Amino acid sequence: MNGWILAAALVLAGGVGATLWGVASGPLRRRVIAQNLTTALACPALLLLAQGYDRPSYVDVALVLALLGPVGTLVFARLLADELTGDPPRAWGATWAVAGLGTVVVAILCAVAAPGRATAKLLVTGVLLIGGNVVASRALAGGFGGVRRG
Amino acid sequence: MNRRTTLLTAAELLGWWAALALLWLVFISAVDTLELAVGAAAAAVGALAAHAARRAVTDR
Repeated sequence: MNGWILAAALVLAGGVGATLWGVASGPLRRRVIAQNLTTALACPALLLLAQGYDRPSYVDVALVLALLGPVGTLVFARLLADELTGDPPRAWGATWAVAGLGTVVVAILCAVAAPGRATAKLLVTGVLLIGGNVVASRALAGGFGGVRRG
Repeated sequence: MNRRTTLLTAAELLGWWAALALLWLVFISAVDTLELAVGAAAAAVGALAAHAARRAVTDR
């Protein structure tokens, strides 16, 4: 156990644990928000675990999650559009708090590693993580209502 | 398809290819000839797909 793994355990227990509780209980609008935040919290935890175990290739798992998590949320936003249009779920405080956590984790991991291709990979992961979740939150909040539905 | 659109399409494909090849170069762990060859080929397929997807979204 080192500091990185401890930090990852805290994010997993506090963040992902809380969002899993949110997914499993409460009204629909809270569940979709919690589902969106789950991947946004698990991704920084996986990045911290990769650093803690000193296995840079584990970053790939976080990268794939950062890419596919928001895509999953967009599928929910589309399938549940009828239920969510009346009172679209907005959680910008939680969204930006989680985005801030992701930014801090990526910045620290970039700072401790020697600059190189791995740094660029981390930055791409961070951009996908934060950008994807902001877009997914906006989709849940009905921000793309003008998009024509095929 | 006239000369101008052909040039524009080629430029767009080249842009996609360069961006995707750069992404591949960042993501691989060991830089060797085989990785570069596979990356260039994958980026070419990705560039064709990206061009087709963009046209499907904008030209409707």
